[in-house]
Amino acid sequence: MNYVPGTASLIDDIDKKHLVLLRDGRTLIGYLRSIDQFANLVFHQTVERIHVGKKFGDIPRGIFIVRGENVVLLGEIDVDKPCDTVLQQVSIEEILEEQRLQQQSKQETEKVKMLALKDRGLSIPKADNLDEY
Amino acid sequence: MFRFQSLDEDCTLEEEDDGLIEEEDEIDQFNDDTFGAGAIDDDWQEEHKRLAGLDDGSGLGAGLGGGGGMGGESDLGGAFDSSSSHHHSSAGQLPLPPSLKFSLSSSGLPPPDVEDRAGEGGLAESLARLILEADPAIAGVGAAERPAPLPSSSGSSLSILQGLENPMVLPQPTSIPHLNQLHQHPHHPQHQLPPGPSSGLSPGPPSSSMLSYQQQQHLLRRGTGPMAQMNSHSIWENSMGFGPLSMTPGLITHMEDSPLMSIIKEVGLPKRPPQGRSDEGRDLSERVPPPRSSSPVIGSPPVRAVPIGTPPKQPMSHALNHQIHHPTAVHVRAPIQHRYPPPFPERLSPNTLLNLANSPLCRGPFPPGVGSVLSQIQRAQLLNSQVAGFPRGGPAPPLLPGGGFRPFYGGPPPPLGHRMGPPPPHCPPNHTPTIRHNTTHLHPQHRRMLTQRMQNRGVDRGRPGGDRRSRDPYSNLMSQKEKEWVTKIQMMQLQSTDPYLDDYYYQNYYEKMEKRQERERDSSKKEHTTKLITPQVAKVEHTYRPVQFAGSLGKLTVSSVNNPRKMIDAVVTSRTDDEEKREKQVWNKRRQILYTVEKMYSLLLEVQDFEKRFVQAPEEDREALLEQHKSRTLQLCNALREKEWDDRVSDEQCVMIMSVRKGKRLISRLLPFLPSPQAAAVVMAISRNLPALAKKDKQDQVLCWLVEPVAAVIQSLSSPALTDLLQELQGNEGQLASVLHNKFGVTLLYLILSEGERMQSSDSNCQLMDDNRWTELVFSVTRELLSVAPSLLSPPLFTPPNLLSLFSRYVDRQRLELLQDKLQISSLSR
Repeated sequence: MNYVPGTASLIDDIDKKHLVLLRDGRTLIGYLRSIDQFANLVFHQTVERIHVGKKFGDIPRGIFIVRGENVVLLGEIDVDKPCDTVLQQVSIEEILEEQRLQQQSKQETEKVKMLALKDRGLSIPKADNLDEY
Repeated sequence: MFRFQSLDEDCTLEEEDDGLIEEEDEIDQFNDDTFGAGAIDDDWQEEHKRLAGLDDGSGLGAGLGGGGGMGGESDLGGAFDSSSSHHHSSAGQLPLPPSLKFSLSSSGLPPPDVEDRAGEGGLAESLARLILEADPAIAGVGAAERPAPLPSSSGSSLSILQGLENPMVLPQPTSIPHLNQLHQHPHHPQHQLPPGPSSGLSPGPPSSSMLSYQQQQHLLRRGTGPMAQMNSHSIWENSMGFGPLSMTPGLITHMEDSPLMSIIKEVGLPKRPPQGRSDEGRDLSERVPPPRSSSPVIGSPPVRAVPIGTPPKQPMSHALNHQIHHPTAVHVRAPIQHRYPPPFPERLSPNTLLNLANSPLCRGPFPPGVGSVLSQIQRAQLLNSQVAGFPRGGPAPPLLPGGGFRPFYGGPPPPLGHRMGPPPPHCPPNHTPTIRHNTTHLHPQHRRMLTQRMQNRGVDRGRPGGDRRSRDPYSNLMSQKEKEWVTKIQMMQLQSTDPYLDDYYYQNYYEKMEKRQERERDSSKKEHTTKLITPQVAKVEHTYRPVQFAGSLGKLTVSSVNNPRKMIDAVVTSRTDDEEKREKQVWNKRRQILYTVEKMYSLLLEVQDFEKRFVQAPEEDREALLEQHKSRTLQLCNALREKEWDDRVSDEQCVMIMSVRKGKRLISRLLPFLPSPQAAAVVMAISRNLPALAKKDKQDQVLCWLVEPVAAVIQSLSSPALTDLLQELQGNEGQLASVLHNKFGVTLLYLILSEGERMQSSDSNCQLMDDNRWTELVFSVTRELLSVAPSLLSPPLFTPPNLLSLFSRYVDRQRLELLQDKLQISSLSR
């Protein structure tokens, strides 16, 4: 805003806490330290937050450099605002376990579906799995 | 004496003499005033006495003599020998060496009160004071000096100043004799530089104060040539470091500073530009190369070794200073697009933009004291310190070179500071006044909105955010420079050759807003009617011409994004219409044939499958199937017909079908299913057109597929039909020959003959012999067989065994044997 009036720029977001959602579905929270013209981001004190149902867990990751093309959305976190959320924070092990279970159930349903389709002689080509969002 | 010279010190006096005479006329009158009738004689005499007296005391007087405008000796220390020097030199122009300037300046120029005193007495006194301060040696002497009347006062002051040329060097007695020598040229042009290798004095640029206007102008025009030192011994030689013309103005500017100001006023020199500017200009103009020695700020990029996209490493303060503070940089304006077409492809590097951005911006937020010396970074830091929490004011640059914002507006530039954001006359006191963003490219409305928004936000969010950020130890990892650099790139991306294409909605929205405003208010306010033109980059047509070196083999291997290497020479070949039509026709026909073949094939397949299906099908369906079968067969037959109403098998159609490999196969499979008359007709057609078919078959060689079905057909033929067939086969002249060349033809022939023979042998009352046709035909066949060259005779697929008996009927023994040999027919069948 200051630098390029009339347009949007990440310059003003520097040194603020952000939440970024990546194309592979990961959610990172950290302080945005540096950017460049491709919107590559440098995050400091990054935490990866995994959400499963109503629970979430934070995994500290340190410094992250995100390539700009992999960003789905990015938003500033207001640290002052009180955080009233129904989500419940759990430990890392627990959340990872939950995630694993979730993945497993997903795969199973997928498998069943494929089988049913195959019986009918249909086949749905496997979509590009890289972008889950 | 101030003829322009080269700066080498070895030029002799003789050269000077020649050139100076012409100038005499121009400056003469002033000289006259100073030294001629206008001058008062008494003065110099008195002066001389005084100074002579002083000379005895301090030994400086003699030194003055030489200094009398003649570029006297370096020995001249006597500041008070002005009269003598005057007299001797008869030159109106007395050089003031640069050292004098320094000495004056070093002595701590007296405050303007010196200048205030315009009185002659005051002048001399002030000068004297200066001198005293400068050189304690002559402190005692200074008091003795008395001011002289005006014309000579200038002389006296000059001489005083001259005396200061060499404050450290005491005058020598030899100076006076030298002066005397000088006087021997009384009629020398007064502007002539004094001859004499002894003159070690570097004249320096003439004291501007002493010169009349014209003289000064001449001097300026001639540059600092005459200042060149002739005597290499002079200690003033190198002090000046005479450079190009531009040096002179600076120096002269400085010259007139302080103590001489009053003198200048008296003499009536043109006023110089105000002090402040000259200060700045002087400081930097010495360091900055003259206006056009380097590429201008506007238009061309600074030469960078690193490519455009690399982030900045070090502050480019020097370059920035040069570009920003060069006085001409900002004033060069429209028509920007024409005068300075960007030499490199249509875009400005972020570094250029950075420089350009700062040139207008640097003026704004800083108090005058900060001024010119700060670099980008320093200024930024200053700002930062001023306003905690806000990064430095927007450097968003104009996207066209230079400060050329005016061309962006069709109408008069809006009165709201077109370079900076609109001045905040109404802004709240706690607004950060120093931050100015470059919003020129935006619509005035837009800009106003933005400033308002900023003002509001500035109040609210400034403090707390700033606090926290200051406590964060990792903050500001991204330096100001880097932020700006990224912003530059982003701005570069906004460059547009066609804003209506690239930013349609923005343009339209603001246009609508404008119209709306016009409707609401009256158009008295001119700013609303200003048409916004977003920064555009001139559309430059780039034709890519691959770089080639004459005489080299091949092309360059190095290529980049901007100059790709030509890999393929794609040449457009256009064929004439006729050719194209013909080709198309050919293709169309072939396609049609293929299409027919396919259709027939599908029918055929169904027919062929009939048996199988019939067996498999349940009882009730069999009839239906039968019906279907019949209809299919009918269709097939019809397909062979050329026209709907024609019952006969079309020759053309058959031939057409058979021209295609698949068609031949089709026919061979089809024949068994055709009803006999039609099958016969087909075979007839084949034999009739055998040469043509044979020719077409050269590539495929699949005619032989037809042998079996044809054989079957033949066997079902009646004798007349057979005869006909044979006749057909023989056809026109020479057809038989070509038939014999072809394997299939030979085979067919044999088949026919063998069938005939079989008929004859088996059936006693066969009608084959009823007419002579058969016999004749056989005869001709035999004749042909005998005559044809053995090499050309192609071996058949198989040789029916009864041929021998056939031939034995018609030919005599001799021929029979010949035939036998040729055809290798033996009683044994093969």
